[in-house]
Amino acid sequence: MATAVHLDGITKRFPGVVANDDVDLAVRRGTVHALLGENGAGKTTLMNVLYGLYEPTDGQVYVGGEPRRFDSPRDAIDAGVGMIHQHFMLVDPMTVTENVTLGNEPRKWLGLTVDEERARREVVDLRDRYGFDVDPDARIEEVGVGVQQRVEILKALYRGAEVLILDEPTAVLTPQEVDDLFAVFEELTAQGKTIIFITHKLGEAMHAADEITVLRDGRNVGTVPADEVTREELAEMMVGREVLRTVEKPPADRGERVLAVDGVSVDDDRGVEAVSDVSFSVRAGEVFGIAGVDGNGQSELIEAVTGLRDPTAGRIVYRGEDVTDWSRRRRIEARMSYVPEDRHERGLVMDFDLTQNGILGSQHSDEFACDGRLDWDAARDHAETIIEEYDVRPPNRRAAAASFSGGNQQKFIVGREFERDPALVVATHPTRGVDIGSTEFIHDRLLALRSSGVAVLLVSSNLEEVRGLSDRLAVVHDGEIMDVVDPESATEEEIGLLMAGEDPSDGSGPVAAGATNEGGR
Amino acid sequence: MSGDDRSGGARRRGRAALERLVRASAAERVFISTAALVLSMAVGVVIVLAAGRMTTCGEAAAVYFGVGFCYDPFAVYDSLFLGALGNPINPLFRPLEGQFAPPFRRGWSPLNGQMAVTLRETTILVFTGLSVAVAFRAGIFNIGTQGQLVVGALATALAALYASPLVAGLVGTLVLIPFGLLVGALSGGLYGAIPGALKAYADANEVITTIMLNFVATGVALYLVAGPFKDPASAANETVSLPGYAIFPPVVFEPRDDFSVLALLFGVALVGGVYYLLEHTAFGYDIRTSGIQPEAAEYGGVDAERTVVSSMAISGALGGLGGAVYVLMIIGNYQTGIPAYGFDGITVSILAGNNPLGVGFAAFLFGVLKSGSIVVDVNTGAPPQLVGVLRGLIILFVAMPEFFRLLGRRVVAIEPERPVATDGGRPGDGGDDAGAEAGGEVDE
Repeated sequence: MATAVHLDGITKRFPGVVANDDVDLAVRRGTVHALLGENGAGKTTLMNVLYGLYEPTDGQVYVGGEPRRFDSPRDAIDAGVGMIHQHFMLVDPMTVTENVTLGNEPRKWLGLTVDEERARREVVDLRDRYGFDVDPDARIEEVGVGVQQRVEILKALYRGAEVLILDEPTAVLTPQEVDDLFAVFEELTAQGKTIIFITHKLGEAMHAADEITVLRDGRNVGTVPADEVTREELAEMMVGREVLRTVEKPPADRGERVLAVDGVSVDDDRGVEAVSDVSFSVRAGEVFGIAGVDGNGQSELIEAVTGLRDPTAGRIVYRGEDVTDWSRRRRIEARMSYVPEDRHERGLVMDFDLTQNGILGSQHSDEFACDGRLDWDAARDHAETIIEEYDVRPPNRRAAAASFSGGNQQKFIVGREFERDPALVVATHPTRGVDIGSTEFIHDRLLALRSSGVAVLLVSSNLEEVRGLSDRLAVVHDGEIMDVVDPESATEEEIGLLMAGEDPSDGSGPVAAGATNEGGR
Repeated sequence: MSGDDRSGGARRRGRAALERLVRASAAERVFISTAALVLSMAVGVVIVLAAGRMTTCGEAAAVYFGVGFCYDPFAVYDSLFLGALGNPINPLFRPLEGQFAPPFRRGWSPLNGQMAVTLRETTILVFTGLSVAVAFRAGIFNIGTQGQLVVGALATALAALYASPLVAGLVGTLVLIPFGLLVGALSGGLYGAIPGALKAYADANEVITTIMLNFVATGVALYLVAGPFKDPASAANETVSLPGYAIFPPVVFEPRDDFSVLALLFGVALVGGVYYLLEHTAFGYDIRTSGIQPEAAEYGGVDAERTVVSSMAISGALGGLGGAVYVLMIIGNYQTGIPAYGFDGITVSILAGNNPLGVGFAAFLFGVLKSGSIVVDVNTGAPPQLVGVLRGLIILFVAMPEFFRLLGRRVVAIEPERPVATDGGRPGDGGDDAGAEAGGEVDE
């Protein structure tokens, strides 16, 4: 089969950093190729070279057998290479058709106005050809993330892409949407398109790709056919040592009840009830896990617990006091730590450096503020402690938070929240986007907190993570707790059914059909 | 390379330039501003020459390359900048021609009348510039500094007037001036807190409310000084003048200059104070966090509503202080037709990148331009409109890089390459996951 893309000896240096070191990559036409590696392995950099965002320091790019030199993405697009970034570049108030044709609109009346009928027709044709389930007249703000992603793909196809690069395409999707995406991959390759997707999830690479290339420290560790490799082999290639251990934890030494949520209901931003009459409690020295497909009320529930959202009903009792009406600040001062779901919006101030971010939430505490005056020396020391203990790279407390990679941002937030001397840690997706080594480290710290008598409320859509860490596991669906199970004895199937809103014990079918698909935001 | 390649290259260079601008250090920013100033003058020279060619005049003011021009651009800029300082340069001082006469003109003193005008304008603009900057840093666009200044000025004029019979002489000065400043700050602060509260608790856009409250302030002030508090001895709409001891003592300048070094020092102290507040206090941290990322501020326990109200109150108090100084230093009562110091404060703040330390310099530049315009008018034949064009050019050129920095920060933040460029750490950490959230979990 012909080679669609061939990268020959690509080296990309940045000041002080070699992001890609003599990487060869050959992708056959009509296949799905996964680019697998940990955070900072150089996957995105390599694809940015192919997409014309970076000029390689050394090496040659061949597309369709021709040597190419791209000065900008436009050159790459003209050569039939399209890239879909993690953050979608769509205009929310505009329709699907408008977004797909944006910048390349068919024109009429001497190019003075957009030929809307033709644009719509072309988009419909394109959609039908690839069998996408997309309404051309829907506005982007009205459709889910999975559909938005398909719009991005349509956009690339509309511009004539033969090779599609997707950067971490599954990061924002629910398991259901991930399956849909992989079906789209199949459809596209069947029609001769070539797909390269970046991921750090082993399972996805094995499931969806024909071939997998593993990058580590900027080098190509090897390219293997997906059906001839095991997870263990891939994991070892990724990290350079044997991994995939199971979390081992001593039995829980439960203390007093730290958090009690009693009949709480919460509305989401649109005023629709997202959490309905939920009750549970978390004791000192235990990890209480919440599993569920993203968007089933976990975010709203957690925001109610941490003081970012007012519940519409019910009580939240923390260390014996009713804290339902307490401000966020008061809860922080009462030693409630919170690793938020969205690190870019909430967890970090992107323009602040790490020193300033290190005191976010503690800016009024005695430790950093004496009579309202900030002690920047203490803040500096604090930031350096977190950077060192939690292995934040590069170890530069003066750098703006925005300049760190996602995994390192997460490590810094986790460090800040765990170092607060908490009585309760609320952690949502604490290892999202974090590489394997750091994930292990964060899990160890979480369990160390548990051993020292801290109550932990853990929310994760990663079933392995919540099952491995939790002492008790609540499964939520559509704003309700379906059941609280023992993670050791419950099978993955049972939990999966609960997540889908079905009760495995009576098999009476979906409790609330369709709610799972609308999940992620 | 095809034409397309070139346009791609240009786009990339444009983006690189924007990035460079966003990351510029403080020294580089000063250099950029200076370069912009020089560039604006180069453009201005052309405009003045062109205007001079198109005008008819009896005698050419300047002859270049055998062509006569009605206005001499170099004389105009000389008057604009050096005139504002009272023409300090000795005409015989020409180092380029090897003449090293004393650089300063004989008889020139830094305490001259024109310098007083420059510093007088600077002083008021320091207050209004700081007022706008504080609000800006909290993420609020306070267009109402003018109204807050009017309220502060009127309240100060009336309070000091009614308090003045109680004290007199030096004691009067020592009591009335701090009292007047306090009244100005309090009244301006309260007036600023109104749009703050409307924004915080009723979700009313502060741009709209502050603009409307400007009209309210000027309107109510006009009614008061045209009616109940009008000076019966005056034909104009103004209050009774304050006694001399209630006016800022001029210290080293002449009393007729209407300028007091004390007021300027007070302004400079506030520059330091506001800087300290923003950078070194927990409250300033709250303000800055709410200003750039409200969700993160909320997460960090900042009470968003209270921060909006209190930062608007501080902003208003600074505007009110500007009004108080205007009354206690310049006019000595309240009269209708207060100059648009509040609106100039917006430009001063943008020019300073909303940094309190920069506000001092930006206010001085504005002071020079305002005062120099008067000198140009007197000394050269150039019409005031033309001088207005030159002033506008300077402000536009100097403010543009800062404006692009504000814009560029957003653009660069979403550019995928940004993290890599600053990620320089260990080898191999080449900024994968470029600044974007790598959601999803690592297997196992």
